[in-house]
Amino acid sequence: MTTTTAIPHFNVSDPAFSVRSDEVMAAREQHWYATTNLGIAVLRYEDGSALLKDRRLRQGSGRWPAHYGITEGPLAEWWADMMLSQEGEDHARLRRLANPAFAPRLLEAMTPAFTALANELVDGFSELGHCEYMSQFAEPYAARVITTLLGMETSQWQEVARLSAEFGYAFSVQIADELPRINAALDGLVAMSRDLIERKKSDTSGDFMSTLVAAQVDGDSLTERELLALVSLLIFGGFDTTRNQLGLAMKTFVEHPDQWELLRQDPDLAAKAVEEVMRVNPTITWVTRETVEDFEYKDLSVPAGTTIHLYSIPAGSDPRKFEDPSFDITASRAPHFGFGGGIHHCVGHFVARIDMREALKTLSSRMPNLRLNGEAQYLPDSGNTGPIVLPLAFDPTPIVGA
Amino acid sequence: MRIVWDESRCRQHGQCEIAAPALFQLSVDGTLTFVADVPAGQEDDAWAAADACPEQAITIIETDSTDTEETA
Repeated sequence: MTTTTAIPHFNVSDPAFSVRSDEVMAAREQHWYATTNLGIAVLRYEDGSALLKDRRLRQGSGRWPAHYGITEGPLAEWWADMMLSQEGEDHARLRRLANPAFAPRLLEAMTPAFTALANELVDGFSELGHCEYMSQFAEPYAARVITTLLGMETSQWQEVARLSAEFGYAFSVQIADELPRINAALDGLVAMSRDLIERKKSDTSGDFMSTLVAAQVDGDSLTERELLALVSLLIFGGFDTTRNQLGLAMKTFVEHPDQWELLRQDPDLAAKAVEEVMRVNPTITWVTRETVEDFEYKDLSVPAGTTIHLYSIPAGSDPRKFEDPSFDITASRAPHFGFGGGIHHCVGHFVARIDMREALKTLSSRMPNLRLNGEAQYLPDSGNTGPIVLPLAFDPTPIVGA
Repeated sequence: MRIVWDESRCRQHGQCEIAAPALFQLSVDGTLTFVADVPAGQEDDAWAAADACPEQAITIIETDSTDTEETA
């Protein structure tokens, strides 16, 4: 005996489609998944949570360049080498070797450096009472977190930002059209990584990069090629996602001035605020998986090779999981999907959590009465999103100095 | 050295198993089994697993190596 439920359908390639639309929220109430022109969209929290770590699914972007006919050359080689494309024991080995550099105890020690960086950047506009937040804070902060963490020259931050932005096209539907530009940016990222690795080989300071370069587990170590792929992925991935997520944090607080004031009064709420922002406004609006075998889950039955997108925004406001899903930085919540999950859970999540926490503490204390100051512009909201331009105003505050 | 696992925090990502496969095993249905008393020589692996857990659901308790009985 079966009952037939109408299964919603989305055309996610339609420019008018939005992962945060009423259409998507209504579909979530209709059924736990929707079909799309790309595959399956999972809409509810518990199903997203279960499928995120289902071992019958692999990380779904491994064959992205191949979908666009890019099967040889530097980009195809880099893509095959990088951690997100690896599965099983190959992935586990890379992860074991990378893990020591990402230990939370080592990263917490970076806190004062991140606080000083945030204060330096806010000094550039605090007396004026207004700023273009993305270019004056989010971008330099995210890039300089990378130069600081990796022990690069501070002056390299603009190069980090430029190369990352250009390489970002590799993860977009413009990958084939922008291939020359992507390859040039990849060249730059790899050259930057090579210099850094070379310099850190004789460094025994125990900082992030020297720990990564020296990593050994059971006599095994990262090859030069693996290190290059990993470091260039860290530069690109660490910068782009942090800039976007910091932008989305401020967008969210502009819309919730009472919560901004709450954070200003109690900076200890900053860690929770980061989690709450990522629940309601994640930069990663879907996590991509691909079935490695013919796949059955509940009433879904799909062949091997099917793309499954786990939508983080409808999951994050699913009334089955969140009784009152409104933005509240004091609430205790179930974990969000903003860092993915399962074996591919973001390796840099502690860095992101610590640097965003420190940024929000400084910003809230020094930008009271926060409000929008003109028109904001955003990237499309499917896949990876965030503001491009975010003009903000606030009550002026004094410069604190270095 | 003892491993303490907070089941309420665990989301079955499987990072502990990647970090320390001899100490942690996550079954296909999501059940975690682990070696609570860390054998000598595997202390670094236990720490690596605790550090790698995205939810910080694993705590390491340093015990006196001569003390084989569980203490309060």
